[in-house]
Amino acid sequence: MPSKKLTLFQAALLAAALAVVLFPVFWIVMTAIKPPTDWNASPAIWMPSQPTLVNFKTLFDPDALKEYGVGGVSQSATKAVFGSLLASITATALSVLIGLFAAIGISRYGAENKSTPLVILSGRMFPPAAIAVPFVIIFSNIGLTDSYVGLIAIYVAATLPFSTWMLKSFVDDLPREIEEAAMIDGTSRMRAHLTVTIPLIRGGLFATTMFIFILNWSEFMFALVLSYSNVSTIPVQLAKYVTATAGTLYGVQAALAVLAMAPLVVVGYLIQGHLARGMTFGAIKQ
Amino acid sequence: MNSSAMASPPGPPLSADAPDLSPAAPHGGGKPPRAKGGNIGLALTLPGQIVSVLVLIIPLLVALYMSFTDWSPTRGSLFDAEFVGFENYSELLIWDTRFLYAVLRTLCISAVCLALEFTFGLSLAVLFMRSFRGKSLLFSAFLTPMMILPVVVGYIFWMLFQSSGPVNQILEFVLGPDVALEWFRSAPLAVTAVIITEVWHWTPLFFLILLSGLNSVPENPVRAAVILGANPRQVFWRVIMPTLKPVIIVAFVIRAMEIIKLFDEVFMLTRGGPGSATETISLYIYKLAFNDFQLAYGAAAAFLVLLGALGLIHLLLMPVRNQLLEVKR
Repeated sequence: MPSKKLTLFQAALLAAALAVVLFPVFWIVMTAIKPPTDWNASPAIWMPSQPTLVNFKTLFDPDALKEYGVGGVSQSATKAVFGSLLASITATALSVLIGLFAAIGISRYGAENKSTPLVILSGRMFPPAAIAVPFVIIFSNIGLTDSYVGLIAIYVAATLPFSTWMLKSFVDDLPREIEEAAMIDGTSRMRAHLTVTIPLIRGGLFATTMFIFILNWSEFMFALVLSYSNVSTIPVQLAKYVTATAGTLYGVQAALAVLAMAPLVVVGYLIQGHLARGMTFGAIKQ
Repeated sequence: MNSSAMASPPGPPLSADAPDLSPAAPHGGGKPPRAKGGNIGLALTLPGQIVSVLVLIIPLLVALYMSFTDWSPTRGSLFDAEFVGFENYSELLIWDTRFLYAVLRTLCISAVCLALEFTFGLSLAVLFMRSFRGKSLLFSAFLTPMMILPVVVGYIFWMLFQSSGPVNQILEFVLGPDVALEWFRSAPLAVTAVIITEVWHWTPLFFLILLSGLNSVPENPVRAAVILGANPRQVFWRVIMPTLKPVIIVAFVIRAMEIIKLFDEVFMLTRGGPGSATETISLYIYKLAFNDFQLAYGAAAAFLVLLGALGLIHLLLMPVRNQLLEVKR
C-alpha cells in the first residue's frame, strides 16, 4: 500500500494513544521512587518530591524504612526473587530443550505420528484452575507440594506447547535440502539435525527461549496454589504484599512490581518481532 | 516485520493435523518425505509426550474421575470418596446461579474486550501504515503493555483506580471537583475497571497481529482497485479487509482462548468483588477449590468450562477453515 504522511489529526490521535499506553508505566515507576510521605497523599502526587531508592532497599532489608519512621515489610522479597529466577530459568531451559526436539520431530517427520501435536497442545485448552485442582491432590500424595521440582514440572508442561510450536515454525522456514545436503556428505540424520538444523535456527531459538522465559516469569496461579513456605515467586509475593499491608506500603509494592516487570520489558524489546509468533503458536509470522 | 502472515488455524486440535498453509514454508505444506526417519521422529517427540502425559493428561484424568465423586480434602484418600455420578454437573447447570453468572459475566467481558481491543488495535495498525518520524521507536512503545506480567498490570491499575488515585484526579479535572468514584465499591465500575485493564494490556497484541497482516496485503489488487476508481474507503473495506479475514480470526481465537482463563488481573484488581460482581469463571473455580475446598465440585465446573471453550473455539474457527483450505488450492 502507498504510505502517506500523517495528517495533523492522526498525529494527535497517536500522541493521545501514546499517553494512554505509557501513563500506567510512568505511574508505577514514579510510585516506586516515592518516599513514604508521598505514597498515600490525597490528591495523589504525580512526581516524587524527593526521589529515593529506599523502597527497593526495603524489599531486601525490611528495616531500611526506619529512617522515615515507617515499619517495613514483614517478609523480605529475597526468597521470592531467587525462587522466580530458579523456577523460570530451569523451566525455560527444559521446556526449550524438549520443545526443540519435538519441533524437529514434528516438522521433519510429522506425518509419522499424528497424535503428537494433539498430545502436546492439549495443555493449552484447560483453564489453569482446572489443572491446579488435581495437581494439589497428586502433589500432596507424592510429596511435591511446596517444592520447586513440582513447580518447575508444571511450568515445563504449561509452556511446552508454546516452545514446540514456535520452534516448529522456525524449523519449517528452513529448507529441508540443507539437511539432506549434509546427509549426502555422510552424516547421520540425527547428526545433521545437531550440526545443521539447530545452528541455523539459533536466532529463533533465542527468541523462543526469551518468550518462554516471559511466560514462566509471569506465571501466577500455579505458584499461588502450590506454594506455602518453601517456595515463593515474585508474582505471589506481590499479591501477598497487597493483601497483607492493605495498600499502606504503596512504594514498596510498586518497587517489587517494577523489579518484576523490568527484565520482561527488556527481553520483550529484544524479541518484539517474534512476540506475535509466540502468542499465536507460530501461526502468524513476522 | 513483513513477509507472510497466515498459516494453519492456531490452537489446539484443529491445527494438529491441519496443513501448513504458510507461503514461507519451503515445501508449501507438502508431505514430509516418508524416509526411514520414523523412529527418529518418534524419539525426538517422545520427551515432550512423556512430560505432557505425566504432567497434564494424568492429572486431568484424576480430575475427571474426581468430578464424579463428592471428594474433599477432609474425606481422606480420593478412593474413599463416594461416586455420585453426574450430581456435581447437574447441580452446576441447574441450581448454581453463581456459576451461571460467572460464565455469562466472562462471556460479556470477553465480548466487550475483544470488540474494543480489535477496534483500537486496527486503528493503530492503520495509522502505522503511514510514514512518520520515530515510527520504530513508537512501535516499540506501543507494544510495552503486553510485555508486562498480568499480576503487575493488575496491581498497577489497582493503584490507578484508588479513590484518591490519578484516574479520579483526571476525571475531576475534566468533569468538575466532586467526581470521586469508588471504583471497587460499585459493581458496574468494578467491571469497567476490569475491562479497561484488559483492553490496555492486550490491545497491543491485536495491533501487532493486524499490522503484520496489513503489511502482507499484496499491492496489486489494491493498485487495481485504485485504478478502477475505488475510493480509499472502498479499497479498505472491499479489498484489504477480506484479505485480512483469516488473520483477524486467528487473533480473535487466540485472545478468546486466553480471556476465558482471565484470572491474574482480576485477582489483583478486585478479588472478584464487590460481592461477586467481577467474579470470572477462573476466579469462581479458584474460590471453590482453594477457599471452600470443594475440589470435586470445582473440577466438575472446570470440565464444563473446558467443553464450552472447545465448542466456542470450534464455532469461531468455522468460517476460516473453509477459506484457509480454498486459499491453499
